[in-house]
Amino acid sequence: MAFIILLLATLSAPAAPLRAVIDREVAQGWKTGKVEPAQLANDATFLRRSYLDLTGTVPTYAEARVFLDDAAKGKRAKLVDRLLTDKRHARHQMQIWDLIIFTRNPANPAFTRKRDAFKNWLEKQFAKNVPWDALVRKMILAEEAGSAMFHVQYRNRPEDETVAVSRIFLGTQLGCARCHDHPFEALTQRDFYGMAGFFVRLQVLQETKGKEKVYTIGEKSSGEVLFTGPAADAVPGKKGEPVAPKFLSGAALDEPDLPKEFKEPDYRKIKKAPYPKPFFSRKEKLAAWITAPENPYFARAAVNRVWAQFMGRGLVHPVDDLKPDSEPSHPALLDALAKEFVAHKFDLSWLMREIVLSESYQRDSAGPGTAAAPKWYERARVRPLSAEEFMAALRVATGFNVAQGLDAKMPNAAGSYMLKIFGKPTDGRGNFQGGVHEHMFLNNGSQLRSLISAKKGNLADTLLKSEAPWDERVDRLFLSTLTRIPSSAEREKLVAYITAKKDDKRVTRARLEESIWALLNSSRFRFNY
Amino acid sequence: MKPLCKPHEHFNRRAFLKGSLLTGAGVSVANFGSLFHAQAAVNEAQKKGKRCILLWMNGGASQLDTFDMKPGRPTAGPFRPIGTNVNGLQICEYLPKMAKVADKLAVIRSMRTGSPDHPDGIYHMHTGFKQSERTPHAEIGAVIAKYCGNLDADLPSFVRMGPTGNAGPGYLGPNFAPFSLQRDGRMPTFSTSNLKPEVRERRAELFRFLETEFARQHQAEPFESHRLAKERAWRLLRAREAFDVSEEWPAHKDRYGDSNFGRGCFTALKLIERGVPFVEIGHDNYDSHANNFVCHKANLQQLDPAWSTLLLDLEDRGLLEDTLVVWMGEVGRTPNINNRAGRDHYIRAWSIVLSGSGIKGGQVYGASDEDGRDVAENPVNEGDLFATIYTALGINPRKKHFWGKRPVWLTPEEAKPIAPFLS
Repeated sequence: MAFIILLLATLSAPAAPLRAVIDREVAQGWKTGKVEPAQLANDATFLRRSYLDLTGTVPTYAEARVFLDDAAKGKRAKLVDRLLTDKRHARHQMQIWDLIIFTRNPANPAFTRKRDAFKNWLEKQFAKNVPWDALVRKMILAEEAGSAMFHVQYRNRPEDETVAVSRIFLGTQLGCARCHDHPFEALTQRDFYGMAGFFVRLQVLQETKGKEKVYTIGEKSSGEVLFTGPAADAVPGKKGEPVAPKFLSGAALDEPDLPKEFKEPDYRKIKKAPYPKPFFSRKEKLAAWITAPENPYFARAAVNRVWAQFMGRGLVHPVDDLKPDSEPSHPALLDALAKEFVAHKFDLSWLMREIVLSESYQRDSAGPGTAAAPKWYERARVRPLSAEEFMAALRVATGFNVAQGLDAKMPNAAGSYMLKIFGKPTDGRGNFQGGVHEHMFLNNGSQLRSLISAKKGNLADTLLKSEAPWDERVDRLFLSTLTRIPSSAEREKLVAYITAKKDDKRVTRARLEESIWALLNSSRFRFNY
Repeated sequence: MKPLCKPHEHFNRRAFLKGSLLTGAGVSVANFGSLFHAQAAVNEAQKKGKRCILLWMNGGASQLDTFDMKPGRPTAGPFRPIGTNVNGLQICEYLPKMAKVADKLAVIRSMRTGSPDHPDGIYHMHTGFKQSERTPHAEIGAVIAKYCGNLDADLPSFVRMGPTGNAGPGYLGPNFAPFSLQRDGRMPTFSTSNLKPEVRERRAELFRFLETEFARQHQAEPFESHRLAKERAWRLLRAREAFDVSEEWPAHKDRYGDSNFGRGCFTALKLIERGVPFVEIGHDNYDSHANNFVCHKANLQQLDPAWSTLLLDLEDRGLLEDTLVVWMGEVGRTPNINNRAGRDHYIRAWSIVLSGSGIKGGQVYGASDEDGRDVAENPVNEGDLFATIYTALGINPRKKHFWGKRPVWLTPEEAKPIAPFLS
């Protein structure tokens, strides 16, 4: 009891920044798990890690140099502040959430495969650091231009949307309850269909404006989900009974009766926006309930996801398995994160800043143990670069089409190949598997070669034209690709390798390009570690 | 159930690779490059291994014009049935060579399945699950690659040619992704290199140098997986001649028939001989909404020599007892003949044929009614079929996997293997 009071006292003390709470709780975990923490990561490791986590790419040579040469104290905090407002950050956050919401194989692909309008809308939200509750509210209300795509994905599939909304925004698995009462959990099939009632009346209107498809979400005033009992007992022709909408918390929706004279418009006949307003909007009630500060799932689900994004695994793991009886690895920490996130009005930038500036985030990844994401966070996690990160990192490292910035395309259709080959690098439990296909692409494809081979202004060209001693050029080579200065053995080896036939320019060029290839293929480049 | 290809019998890749990675470049090259050494170990490990060849009839072959003929009924087409070397079993006149090996065939005449169209049917008949479920199920090839294959082999464990599956490795992950040859047998994109071998060697040596330094301090699993996959890609490049049958093909093409499909079957035989556990060959195109009989006559004349010769060659080499050969497509075809002399998709009663790997040949399971409109006895669904296939290969059909939090089984709970095939 005394411990709990003490804990509450510390948590409510306004003076301790969240990062101090993080470090205290994580250190407590080391004792529970009987593990030794790794040392803090050096500047170069921190630089690469925070760039990849916050902007989805690696720093340029110039950016790396400036940071590493900066002798000022507090430069890490300064860097993080800068990266959080970098436009690459908004792009990266957009890609992460777009992938969570749509996956690599979105449902309703005919409508959702092309969704630039949604991506632009989402990126704008992150660029403006729209609070998380407001962002999710907007996504569910789907009233802003471009924001409709979430519902479009689940057009006419209220059950699938129930699973998705609960999993993504509330961190809760309802998939099982769709077909049967879960044997070990409190949620029943009726809870499931109660939630589905919020989506069953949604309508999707598709209009073509120029080359673009524009979507509008409408909501009918009538229509109920039908519940037929356990899927195993289903028989053809058996009609279900209507289920009234009910929040996951158990509270039924307080809904006025439809006036007797009300006549539902024929939605099939409406070909142009806007849709008529419903007599009563369930969607609005749901959006308000989901994003309310007192919703027991919403803030926890969000902080658990953001935490996992940076720390490699959720305090509840997997991230979408929150339930009343789930046991977080660090319960007090999850409580504190959720509470402070609400207190800071769902400010994502603030939350990420606190996590990234904690010592817990800044541990080295070296050390014994083979886990990719150690449960007690004693080492930094190791994760593969996503397809998007990998492409961006290749462009930055090799200096490909630098002038085109964020929207630079990859050469020789590499983009579509890479999404296919690097898009799903894990098994069903999230473990990385280095598939042979990604190496066939890197070893044999022309795409990587054309990024590497010397062209005006790119990495190979710059190094070949430089007059600096090869020692220095190899340092630049390492900084450009791996964001670190080579060890003396590495420097020596690479200098000797590249200058094996000093006077033959073609050999030097070929060997430099082979060196770049080896660096871009190495573990240090493939992973965020 | 006792799996026939147990993981611990597989060559231990870590034991093999660990030492070499850490002893420096020279030794690594010797070890990694030792194709013979690796191959010998793999051969040893896979001696008891089960294998599978899937002959995929893309578009859906007509059961009424192949293995479940209805002579004299209004649903019969113009093809005549012929007798086989199994008493009472009749099949289509355009499968005369198959008629002579019918004693090896176990015919299911009572398939009743759940996905009536192409993408969904192709998915369903490659995974045993509905595509609409949204759980990324693993294709049969990926499952067999995982349970009967060996990640240390030089050759990929899941090879396919032509129009085939659409689900990929699903929850099993990229290690079990298909290696897809083009329909004429050419190698897939990115599988050949136009670099000089010495350039590849030099690059490999630099890569290993960088990794060796790094691996001293960083022991997390993903790094090792990355290095092993890189080495696997290099070994595959060296072993790629296994896919090239052009020298031997002229001597065999009359037996298999001079078609892409025939050559595919011969390639499959060669790959199975080399220990590849799963090869799928797609055969176009059976989707005969119009001119069903023209289509099928042409297709069956390619199918008949290729399939029958494959079975005989497997038997000759002593491989048929461990190699399951599956003949199926995504749907059957309608008993009614439409006004374009076509047959449309049909899933209420259709046929699939299995042989090898201990499946008892010369028998028919289930039956359709007299016009082939419905199953008359012993209906078989996708789950039952996959349970039969996996059981015949020594794989537990109720093996549990995970997609995130959700458990996923290889076949649904109620799936039952076809007992008379397996006794």
